[in-house]
Amino acid sequence: MSKARAPLRKIVVVGAGQVGAIVAIALKRALPACDITIIGTTPDPAAFADNAATALAFTNKLHDRLGISETQMITAAGASHRLVMRYFGWAETGSHGAMSYGTPSDPAMQSAFARNWGGGSKGSTRQPQMQSVAQALADAGRFIRPPNDAHTPISDIDYGLRWNAPAYRQLLVSIAQQLSIGHAPGDVAGVTLDESGSVASIEITGHGAIAADLFIDCGGPQAPLLSRLPGHATQDWSDHLPIRRVHLAAPGQPMLALEDRISFLGQGWLGECAGRDGLQSTLASIGGLDDTAIVSALGSAPALSIDCAPQRCEAPWIANVIAIGDAAARFEPLAGLPLDLAHRQLSLLLEMLPGQLIEPLERNEYNRRAVLMMDGVRDTLSMHYSAPHAAHLFDLERSDHVILSLDQFTRRGRLPLWEEAPFSASETMGLMGALGIAAGTPPQFATMGSGQIAAMRQGAEKLASDALEFVPPYQQWMAQMLGQRS
Amino acid sequence: MDSKARMHVVVLGGGTAGWMAAAGIAKLLPASTTVTLVESEDIGIVGVGEATLPHIRAYVERLGIDEAEFMKATHATYKLGIDFRDFGKIGDSYIHPFGSFGEDVAGVGFHHWWLDQHHRGNVGDIGDYSMAVAAARANRFAPPAQDMTLASTYGYAYQFDATLFGPFMREFGIKHGVNRIEGLVTSVERNPENGNITALCLKSGERIEGDLFIDCSGFRSLLLGSELQEDWQDWSHWLPCDRAAAMPCTHQASDIRPYTIATAMPAGWRWQIPLQHRMGNGYVFSSAFCDEDKACNAIQQAAEGKALADPRILRFRPGRRIKSWSHNVIGVGLSSGFLEPLESTSIYLAQMAITYLIELFPEKGRIDARDRDEFNRLVDMEYDRVRDFLILHYNATTRDDSEFWNHVRTMQLPDSLMGKMELWRRTGRVEKYSDGLFYDASWIAVYIGQGVIPQSHDARTSMGDPARIANALNHLKQAIAAQVGAMPGHVDYLQRNAARLAEAA
Repeated sequence: MSKARAPLRKIVVVGAGQVGAIVAIALKRALPACDITIIGTTPDPAAFADNAATALAFTNKLHDRLGISETQMITAAGASHRLVMRYFGWAETGSHGAMSYGTPSDPAMQSAFARNWGGGSKGSTRQPQMQSVAQALADAGRFIRPPNDAHTPISDIDYGLRWNAPAYRQLLVSIAQQLSIGHAPGDVAGVTLDESGSVASIEITGHGAIAADLFIDCGGPQAPLLSRLPGHATQDWSDHLPIRRVHLAAPGQPMLALEDRISFLGQGWLGECAGRDGLQSTLASIGGLDDTAIVSALGSAPALSIDCAPQRCEAPWIANVIAIGDAAARFEPLAGLPLDLAHRQLSLLLEMLPGQLIEPLERNEYNRRAVLMMDGVRDTLSMHYSAPHAAHLFDLERSDHVILSLDQFTRRGRLPLWEEAPFSASETMGLMGALGIAAGTPPQFATMGSGQIAAMRQGAEKLASDALEFVPPYQQWMAQMLGQRS
Repeated sequence: MDSKARMHVVVLGGGTAGWMAAAGIAKLLPASTTVTLVESEDIGIVGVGEATLPHIRAYVERLGIDEAEFMKATHATYKLGIDFRDFGKIGDSYIHPFGSFGEDVAGVGFHHWWLDQHHRGNVGDIGDYSMAVAAARANRFAPPAQDMTLASTYGYAYQFDATLFGPFMREFGIKHGVNRIEGLVTSVERNPENGNITALCLKSGERIEGDLFIDCSGFRSLLLGSELQEDWQDWSHWLPCDRAAAMPCTHQASDIRPYTIATAMPAGWRWQIPLQHRMGNGYVFSSAFCDEDKACNAIQQAAEGKALADPRILRFRPGRRIKSWSHNVIGVGLSSGFLEPLESTSIYLAQMAITYLIELFPEKGRIDARDRDEFNRLVDMEYDRVRDFLILHYNATTRDDSEFWNHVRTMQLPDSLMGKMELWRRTGRVEKYSDGLFYDASWIAVYIGQGVIPQSHDARTSMGDPARIANALNHLKQAIAAQVGAMPGHVDYLQRNAARLAEAA
């Protein structure tokens, strides 16, 4: 007979940034009887997930699940919608491409059965280039949050949010307080292991020892907890990823736009995230840029400059300590990936939530999948540097997976499945297209008559025009949303 | 090979795999190929796979074949899953459905909640929480919905006459331009420089040249095996069954089950696959533990209706080629690998190879080694995952009533399976993957169905009010029962459309 495992009684989350806060909230929701304390360690400006002002579409699902509504995000955290990520200069100087989110829906593939029963080709094959509904909306500046109770012309659209990071953190902190999650300020000064090698307690400066069944390290890139454990090791990604230095500008003019931009600059990239509370510009470089070059690229002197040494931990879960976010992997803050990874790791933890006693096999399975997630992010970044212009300038290593994907995409117009990747196969193909990586023609294309393709194109145009007709200007909708608040 | 517009594809073998491959390529790649199929009336076909998986529907639809016409031609019935009897122990019965059990509650997989209620003695068969199982048990059928409701939580496949499926695909293939040649291959010509096959020489003296050869010659594997000598990885130490005694019989009752039955036997298992006009029976056994006469006798004894033929013995060996695509030869079906039909995977495995081949079809007449490697990677992954899932059915047992069951119960498992089973036993969790075949729901069905109850399950199930949880489970069970109660009987549904009914035999 199977017995429910004894639930965790006490969890300590190290790190009170937005990652630590959402982890604590999620764990409290999952285990209402569990005593959960957040340790407010000194914030680290180099924590890209913790300080992120944007993530990807997955975060919306996580928020839904945790009862954090999009209305709250808009009214309390300055959130707005990104339908499209525009890539400038990645293919060649002056080039432009756009990536949108979501997978064109095939109703037959959305049924519960299709989700639960596998088999056959799980990768993706390129479809003829069609107008994207998301891009049409972004171009026209029209959008509303898709109503979730009815099928509408914008139901298939997925999006990322961006927000005001301090306000978002504050929102999470107030939810954590409502849930009676404890808070103790201080830094990790040491750990005490028991005979089995598990952490019995951690020493917090100004507070003393805190014991728990499970410890979550959301303490930023230094991994203040995980790095203290025997067996901790890191894997260097610097052969795969070129960015060594990240410069952040002070917030610029407030903007309301449905797109963000990432421009390739030769010695790195410039990210422009349209925040309602100010444009956020990030310059990521291979290092060695002089001040003039930085100011000229960023448009102003950086408010903050941070070193970036890309790497991940070998295993994010050691003994009874699990690292999430910056503590697990460190890499450049591109396209919302750092916080997206943290949120997907949190979701994995919720799926495989341990009991009071850690099962080593469960830990192994978690680590197997979490490592796939991290390597998937590295490979997605690596895909960016495989764009023609970037590949021409940098000589970087690529994983077998990236090599296979590039080969299959460029020659055959197909992409093998990536388990636990940040984007679906069709989204990754969209990204590769936006980066100017030329797609090959799938053999089946040859059978499509020009009439068939014209019909598909017409269908896509109809979808876009229906969507444009259905939604008002984004600005108008946003004003209405904010008006309802008062 | 120069870069000509069309590639000449030669398919060797006119069985199920051969005609599926020829028809699929001719229909989906008409502009870039010409397809010739060589078959001989002197060579019988194995006709594997009377029962299929839901994926067959994608193949049929993609080729633009009308479902009713296809069902009529192959005497097909609907299939919701397989009823496994006597596997975990004698007297057991569980259905591995084309569908899932319940749904996640508060982010915790349904089976954890079921295990918790099971522990408290509050709950019956996990199949009561599956639409497919409940409908199968009730002999009812209706096509699933394509929305997010309960009615979308299952799928279906067909049970059909495999000896009619090949000819149906032959007719379709010929209509779509496949050139059929009757003849026996006596020798093979090869390019001395690169080892590629250049032509098949027939007994008639005819020479069939080609750019790409698809070996569908069954176990003989004339091209991939005999000619190219591609190594075979033998799996009989894990899957000792190497024979089947097949015998059709009449239906005993007027009702037709919308599912296949697999009943464990002293030296293997036997199938009962209901078609429109007859019942297919067969005893899959291990010749190391049972001789052929004994097996024939056993299937004659076991068949419930009147025998329609003498038992026919099929011989096979489980395993796969190390490379299913070598030089310019691609093995599809039995020439590339074989896994016993315990989970009705034979046609699926042929279909998946055809699908991957079409995705990776040589461009401008040139085979690229990278595409060949990718094809082999995918095919190997598919075979290996199905293999582990099949081994589970044998190993997850307490049966000790025969030498055969003692062997499979105690054998050394592949590491890939051992890790999965141990994770389940300790924690009730299923190792997750999204590629290949058989996901969580399938593993859970077999584990629980065969009595492998884990030692523990998710802690969160103990936190709610057990009475409320029991109530919620009961609700689901009743909702499923009500929906199934509103479905027509399987035979009634079949008969609603005369176009899908075969002419009386």
